[in-house]
Amino acid sequence: MNILLAMIPLSILLLIGAGIAFFWAVDHDQFEDMDTPRLLPLEDLPDEQPPEEPPP
Amino acid sequence: MNTPATACWHCGAALPADPPVAQVAGSPRPVCCHGCRAAAQWIEGLGLADYYRLRDTPAERPVEHSTAQVWARPELARHAVRILADGRSEVCLLVEGLRCSACVWLIERGLGTLPGVASVQVNATAQRARVVFDAGRATLPQLLLALERLGYRPLPLDARALDDARRHESRAALKGLLVAGFGMMQAMMYATALYLGAFDGMDGATRDLFRWVGLLVATPVVFYAARPFFAGARRSLAARRLGMDVPVAIAIALIYAASMVETLRGGAEVYFDSVSMFVFFLLLGRHLEMRARHRAANLSDALARLAPACADRVRADGTLERVGAVELVPGDRVHVAEGGILPADGRLESERCSVDETLLTGESLPVTRQRGDTLVAGTLLVQGPARLLIERVGADTALAGIVALVTRAQTERPRLAQAGERAAAGFVARVLALAALTAIGWSLIDPSRAFTATLAVLVVSCPCAFALAVPAALTRALGVLAQRGVLVTRADAIEQLATATHAVFDKTGTLTSPELRLERIEAHDGLDREAALRLAVALARGSSHPAARAIALTLPDVALPAVDGLQVLAGAGVEGRVAGRRLRLGRADFALDGTRIPAGLEEATVLAGDGRLLASFQLSERLRPGTRDALDALTADGLAVEIASGDAPGRVAAIAATLGIAHWSARQRPADKLSRLTALREAGARVIAVGDGINDAPVLAGADVAVALASGAQLAQASSDIVLVGNRLDALAGARQLARQALAILRQNQRWSLLYNLTAVPFGALGFVPPWLAAIGMSLSSLVVVLNALRIGRQEHSPAGSPVAAVAGAGA
Repeated sequence: MNILLAMIPLSILLLIGAGIAFFWAVDHDQFEDMDTPRLLPLEDLPDEQPPEEPPP
Repeated sequence: MNTPATACWHCGAALPADPPVAQVAGSPRPVCCHGCRAAAQWIEGLGLADYYRLRDTPAERPVEHSTAQVWARPELARHAVRILADGRSEVCLLVEGLRCSACVWLIERGLGTLPGVASVQVNATAQRARVVFDAGRATLPQLLLALERLGYRPLPLDARALDDARRHESRAALKGLLVAGFGMMQAMMYATALYLGAFDGMDGATRDLFRWVGLLVATPVVFYAARPFFAGARRSLAARRLGMDVPVAIAIALIYAASMVETLRGGAEVYFDSVSMFVFFLLLGRHLEMRARHRAANLSDALARLAPACADRVRADGTLERVGAVELVPGDRVHVAEGGILPADGRLESERCSVDETLLTGESLPVTRQRGDTLVAGTLLVQGPARLLIERVGADTALAGIVALVTRAQTERPRLAQAGERAAAGFVARVLALAALTAIGWSLIDPSRAFTATLAVLVVSCPCAFALAVPAALTRALGVLAQRGVLVTRADAIEQLATATHAVFDKTGTLTSPELRLERIEAHDGLDREAALRLAVALARGSSHPAARAIALTLPDVALPAVDGLQVLAGAGVEGRVAGRRLRLGRADFALDGTRIPAGLEEATVLAGDGRLLASFQLSERLRPGTRDALDALTADGLAVEIASGDAPGRVAAIAATLGIAHWSARQRPADKLSRLTALREAGARVIAVGDGINDAPVLAGADVAVALASGAQLAQASSDIVLVGNRLDALAGARQLARQALAILRQNQRWSLLYNLTAVPFGALGFVPPWLAAIGMSLSSLVVVLNALRIGRQEHSPAGSPVAAVAGAGA
């Protein structure tokens, strides 16, 4: 069971790391706008692609 | 959503006869006006034509009269712009017309291309944009103009709004939720090892190790994440009330403290998993509730939008000067152009004008005001211009008075849910008393078992299931309703929606669309209807009155007779000469020029030539789509439906007859509506009020459940509990059905947790429940409550075949 003495502190360190990352993300506006990012990949479409016709 | 070819490519409005054409992405697109064409061409020119594919609602029509330049005044800009530490400027803009994610995309890129703009950050739900710019290379008016060209209406907010309390609150809540969630996961993992160890014979040292790490992860949960409960409990106690926070805080503190003592002295059992889970579930409920609350508009936004930011002050020499509305003082004279909004309350100094006072009265048609009449801030000048002697500004205006009325009605609102909260608080207080009794009893009989038994009572009866019974059901109901376009901003509204007995609807803008429609034409004097209509349309084109617009829209693209000397007379009608004959279109007494008005034409719009009646037009309001079905469903659901409108009796009666509503009242001012509501409530009714206008705001605030339409006034939304996002009234019927289901499940949850506690607590008190069983029982009872709550909104649980269920299904 001595492996626990290594694994438990490791899990706690990981937890603290995740917590710090999340706090950083909240403080740096990562959760301010939950709508736009899903559109960003669409922005870089090549120009030559014909525009979509509107439905009638 | 892309708009069909009959509508403007940019804003989705109806197209005129010969629409201007914009070139977008290589194809010609018809638009409704030159403003829209400029906006579309500009978006194309920036290479942002993708916007039209990404958006899901049409854009706003660009503003015709820009107010951007007034923000160049340092007196005004000082209020809005904050200078950052590095010398750059930051401004927070309220962007009207910002409705979908594509708008966010467009604004971020559109403003980002301006020289000197360092960063743009747009929040679609709050309708705000924060822009950091270099004041040397970009100016505030340039930013505003760029937004206006994109078709939005930007309004710089007070610089204090930059330190947004709302933003702070949501960030703190998110962090607390995360800490509680991580803590819960870890604590449960360690607890599982402990429970298994209890069976398999874990050695004491390993057990203590798990307890200490459990203590380690539960500590931030209790001391950081659970702060809101302790703060709330402190506030309640300071106000000498026993709110829900008090027993919750006591339970958290006791379980945590007891577990810590057990860890230190190597006692029987620890409950760090229970306390973390408890905190997490409660925080989750609060977080969802807060998000719903933030999505609804707030009062300060509403006020900022209503009153214009600037005004034209008349100098002593008669020239005009553009100033900020905040700079006006009583005694100033202002000039308001046609189509402008009055900046403050004042007395009319010009001869006459026509204003839209929907704000105060709900009257759907403009009214005429004479010299010396008092006009109020926020009203729209339909026909002008007008010169005003300012009498009251800022917080003294009638508009501010309405806001105060709303605030007061809100604080006086009955809180049915407080009863439920009191029941839970009472229950927990009794459990605490019982725990104390157990401790005393056991210390008399067998002091060594006192601590374990007391802890077992606390944990087995832990208010978890009981405290979760209400939030779990409400949270699930809020989530399902939000998906169906019904935003609930106050969670108690669910209960009141389910138990309501009456529904009071506003007419203008709620049951009907804001526009009028030409219902019936009667031609006289040998004229055929086609010819009469053509003459009327030719005249009506000259006026912006809603009635004239409705007539003008009926014949958009035919050759019309030429009109000479067209003249608009405010509050009366239009006059002009066609083929030498003097024609008048408007109110009967004006058009017929004093001759006897034939019966039945008092409220009609009349066309007359040289004082002789040529034709009469009956205008009616259009019902919103789905209104009839919605009202039928609500009536079938056992609600007594009535209309309270500020409009004229004839028009209200017509709508009531169309919808089959027996009870209606007309010419109701906000105070009349409020007293009608109070009377209903005193007679024992629980009332749903549905409205959209600012004049409805006090009524909405005074009702048991207030429902506003998302297209309506911000102030109405701010004082409502439920906002219908899609503007479809039939969503309301579905929402009521769902609220009832949620309430049934909520009661089921409460009964179940009460039953569980009544069964388990005596065993715990008598010392029959080993601590691990208490913990499992507590977790299972909470799980049952949460799973039961997830049934809300499942279609198979609503009675199939009823019209209400069909509507709810269509709305999902």
